[in-house]
Amino acid sequence: MLLRLLRRTAVFLASLFVSSIAVFTFMAVLPGDPARVTLGVNASDSAVQQLRDEFGLDRPLVSQYASWVHGLVTFRLGDSYVSNAAIGPQIADRFQVTLWLVVTGMVIAVLIAVPVGTVMAIRHRRLSGVLLSGLSQVGVAVPAFLAGILLITVFAVRLRWLPANGWTPPVVDPGMFLKQLVLPAFSLGIVQGAVLTRYVRSAVLDVLREDYLRTARAKGLRPGQALVRHGLRNAAIPVVTMLALQLATLLIGAVVVERVFVIPGLGSLLLDSVANRDLIMIQDVVMVLVVAVLLVNFLVDLLYIAIDPRLRAGAS
Amino acid sequence: MTVHSVELADTAVGPARRARGWNASLVVGGLIVGLLIVMALLSFVWTPHDPTLVNAAARLQQPSAEYWFGTDKFGRDVFSQIMVGSQTALFVGIVAVGVAALVGVPLGIVGGMGSRWVGETLMRFNDLLLAFPALLLAIMFAAVYGGSTLVAMVAIGIASIPNFARLVRSGTLQVMRTEYVLAARAAGRHPFGIGLRHVLPNVSGLVIVQMSVGFAIAVLAEAALSFLGFGTPPPTPTWGRMLQASQELLWEAPRLAVFPGVAIAVAVLGFNMLGDGLRDYLDPKLEDRR
Amino acid sequence: MSHMRKAAVALTAIAAMSLAACSAGSTESGKGSDSSQGAANASLNIGLTAEPASLDFTKNDGAAIPQALLYNVYETLVKVDQKGKIVPALAKSWDVSSDRKTYAFQLVDDAKFSNGKPFTAKDAKFSIDRVKSDWTISLKSAMDQVDEVSVKNPTTLVVKLKQPSNDWLYRMTTRIGAMFSRTGVDPLATKPVGTGPYEFSKWKRGDSITLTRNDDYWGDKPHFKNITLKYFKDPTAENNALLSGTIDVIGTVQSPDSLGQFENNSKYQIIEGTTNGEVVLSFNNKSGPLQNKKLRQAIKHGINHKALLDTCWAGKGKLVGSMVPPTDPWYEDLTDRYPHDTAKAKQLIRQSGESGKTLRLRLPNLPYATACGQVVKSQLEQLGLKVKLDQLEFPAAWLNTVFNSADYDMSIIAHVEPRDMAAVFGDPKYYTGYGKPALRSLLQKADQGTPEEQVTYMKQAAEMLADDAAADWLFVQPNLIVADKDITGLPKNAISESFDFTHLGQS
Repeated sequence: MLLRLLRRTAVFLASLFVSSIAVFTFMAVLPGDPARVTLGVNASDSAVQQLRDEFGLDRPLVSQYASWVHGLVTFRLGDSYVSNAAIGPQIADRFQVTLWLVVTGMVIAVLIAVPVGTVMAIRHRRLSGVLLSGLSQVGVAVPAFLAGILLITVFAVRLRWLPANGWTPPVVDPGMFLKQLVLPAFSLGIVQGAVLTRYVRSAVLDVLREDYLRTARAKGLRPGQALVRHGLRNAAIPVVTMLALQLATLLIGAVVVERVFVIPGLGSLLLDSVANRDLIMIQDVVMVLVVAVLLVNFLVDLLYIAIDPRLRAGAS
Repeated sequence: MTVHSVELADTAVGPARRARGWNASLVVGGLIVGLLIVMALLSFVWTPHDPTLVNAAARLQQPSAEYWFGTDKFGRDVFSQIMVGSQTALFVGIVAVGVAALVGVPLGIVGGMGSRWVGETLMRFNDLLLAFPALLLAIMFAAVYGGSTLVAMVAIGIASIPNFARLVRSGTLQVMRTEYVLAARAAGRHPFGIGLRHVLPNVSGLVIVQMSVGFAIAVLAEAALSFLGFGTPPPTPTWGRMLQASQELLWEAPRLAVFPGVAIAVAVLGFNMLGDGLRDYLDPKLEDRR
Repeated sequence: MSHMRKAAVALTAIAAMSLAACSAGSTESGKGSDSSQGAANASLNIGLTAEPASLDFTKNDGAAIPQALLYNVYETLVKVDQKGKIVPALAKSWDVSSDRKTYAFQLVDDAKFSNGKPFTAKDAKFSIDRVKSDWTISLKSAMDQVDEVSVKNPTTLVVKLKQPSNDWLYRMTTRIGAMFSRTGVDPLATKPVGTGPYEFSKWKRGDSITLTRNDDYWGDKPHFKNITLKYFKDPTAENNALLSGTIDVIGTVQSPDSLGQFENNSKYQIIEGTTNGEVVLSFNNKSGPLQNKKLRQAIKHGINHKALLDTCWAGKGKLVGSMVPPTDPWYEDLTDRYPHDTAKAKQLIRQSGESGKTLRLRLPNLPYATACGQVVKSQLEQLGLKVKLDQLEFPAAWLNTVFNSADYDMSIIAHVEPRDMAAVFGDPKYYTGYGKPALRSLLQKADQGTPEEQVTYMKQAAEMLADDAAADWLFVQPNLIVADKDITGLPKNAISESFDFTHLGQS
């Protein structure tokens, strides 16, 4: 087990290294000169050159890479080319915003998906199950931003129950924070919920076919009872894995909803930095997003090693 | 959309099996997809109006015999745009699924047939690729190569490679344990031959199901990217951009959002249902995994 | 020739660039403003489209910075009023010598910076000198005219120019005329210090900037205590914010087609005026097929400007026909030089011998450019021309490809800098590749002549540009503001770099 742990950690670190090289290489070929963009359209070539020197854009790539990674590892991310403001706090701040949105959205998704998915599985041969299944198919087919536009039109513009957009940090005004969170979180939650529902259904169906559940049912338990007593834990493992991955990829996936609701999250920061050719900022944001996925994968694997006796035994 | 890929990839190997007999998903999904293909092919030779012709006199018309779905603010026929938009929808699917399958299927087969070390390495590569969600990759690609359908879809395709590779690898591992493959190996057949003769045909069902699902992912991805302004440049009509452009007129002409919105949802629904239906249909041919 | 470049351009669009980033700041936002708190503490939320990337307009070219700060936080010696006239600000009056090279400004004696220091002629000299020494943006070249700045006494400033220049005083109304405190220029990017009626209060990056009334202001104190500028990339989100009450004013409407929902609603008022922003269909005069004047003329005849304005900008805006907005003293309607005439256009295309060529129309991904580009393409294709439309991300990709490399045949961009004819067409190295000597000599005569001569020569220059088909002028952007009914004092015309908050009130 220790060996597995060590090996998994080594793989994680190697993945970080390889992805950092991939991200850096990618940025190096990005067209558009950040110095020119900062100085504006009529800037003289000498002024642009001066700023390029200041940014260190003419240094060899290896040395640029080294100082970037050094900054990442020591959490000293430096200043943005464009705004001169420190990058670290900006990313932390935006990350927080997106995390609130994504976590709330996923909570809504779980609250929808677990009961609905379970019912769908138990009744998968009955009309109600098939109807729910069809409904979840429709949910999967609706883009999250379309859901967002519809929610805004109904609840903000026509009914005026909730603000159409905006973001207030919870420490500043908890009431406003909640009001502004409702619509975007539901836009994400409904669509992700539909996706997750199908996953829950399939996991529960898997468990229902297991021998121990057949035995339990043979002893006279109804499917729901049997499931609750014996199966939920087993069904939970793949669902939790899925949930974790959904969460990690939603950090960027939420960008469309952030755009619709004018939320200053991580995705918006990335789009703005791309438009402004804020190279270091782009690199850092992309890296943060990539690390988030790798880290979640890593943690899920560790969890598997820890809780699953079969996996612990090392049968791959 | 990035997330769908994870989930949908799994439902394809999941056990959702319905009673044999009338397969509603297959029929309805097949009909929708068939209709989509017919519409796209037809739009190459005929549309009621030129979908990009600006006509100030016919601005924002209600649906009528002349303009079945009405016109947009440029006086362009919405029905013709929806028709031509189906070309883009299919095109994005073909490119994204093509890239993902062409790379992912061989990777999966090699990963399943090769030594444990080869398999592990490929799966690590897969995990690494999974760390770049489709939307992130598409934004990065668009920043470098400019916004175009092709660029965006290659990005979506690359991000979908792990779905295919993982699926095909697990399918291959099963096939490799079957008696006829064991026999072929014992007989000293070349691995390449085994892969082509035995493995590929046996995992093709899985691949077809995943391809159908991949189409759905691609259509959703194109809509999201067009919405963010990274998709197909105008005036080529795409459903995603039509939806994006409809927003400023949501108050006066909500129909401009309804038609492309419904088109996206129906197309995605069609591909997903077709995938579901195909899985149910093809499932018995696959080895029982339980 | 340095004066040729003094009217450097800032593109409106540049304003659109900036949603640069957030910061530590965004966690310490202010209370949501509440306009019902009574006059003394009233707050106002204004929606705008482009967030600045930084607050330092001496080093960043974005139009969003002066839009928020000029006249509000920073004041100038002179400013332009709603009709385009130069009027006193920190200078009570000024005298011009008979050779028109020396300006003596009488300054107000009771202005104070927000850091507590009084404003004196020494600060004015410091600010003007600093443009030459410390500014990096291209606009700074307008100060190259200045020979010497001297302080006579704390309220008298004398500026000597190298040669007479009508344009110099006008440029003093823009950001380069902003007055800084000798002890308040560090750090400009995050902490602006000025003498204006508002002080910079806080910046929630990625979201909003808040200004607070300067209660020690030397002039008339403004009505609103807090003004928050909220930035929206998406015009629809901005509309929704007004409809649901999150903001009180849409400062610059980016989707005129959506005005319908406010038009018949008694809760809102719509203000329609004019701006300096010429939306130009620019031609590459230096290379490619559009060096051919016949082809350029064909395009100008082939475009139906009325239909274009109606479809892509809801008929709002003004057709002008040359590089002069209607508020400039030398404005003339030149739209009759190239009336819509498809037969003539087709004939000119045949004569040009370029009919088979594909023209690359490379657009920034901004709302007006995307909308009008599709119309231009459709109209030109009906003449039999081939047009390939590329959409380039703004600002970076567009600047790189079109602006710096001039790798384009046609583009569409709004040139929003005031009096920018010289900047856009006076320099052959500029992306338009025009800058013919005849035009340059007219512009020079206009700058150095009497005010009457200036008008005469500028008119000639505008006609020359139109006749030579140096570009096609699609329309001048309208100034469109939608606001809650009770907001007063909103500017009808947007003809300075500033969104002037000083007259805003509530009825």
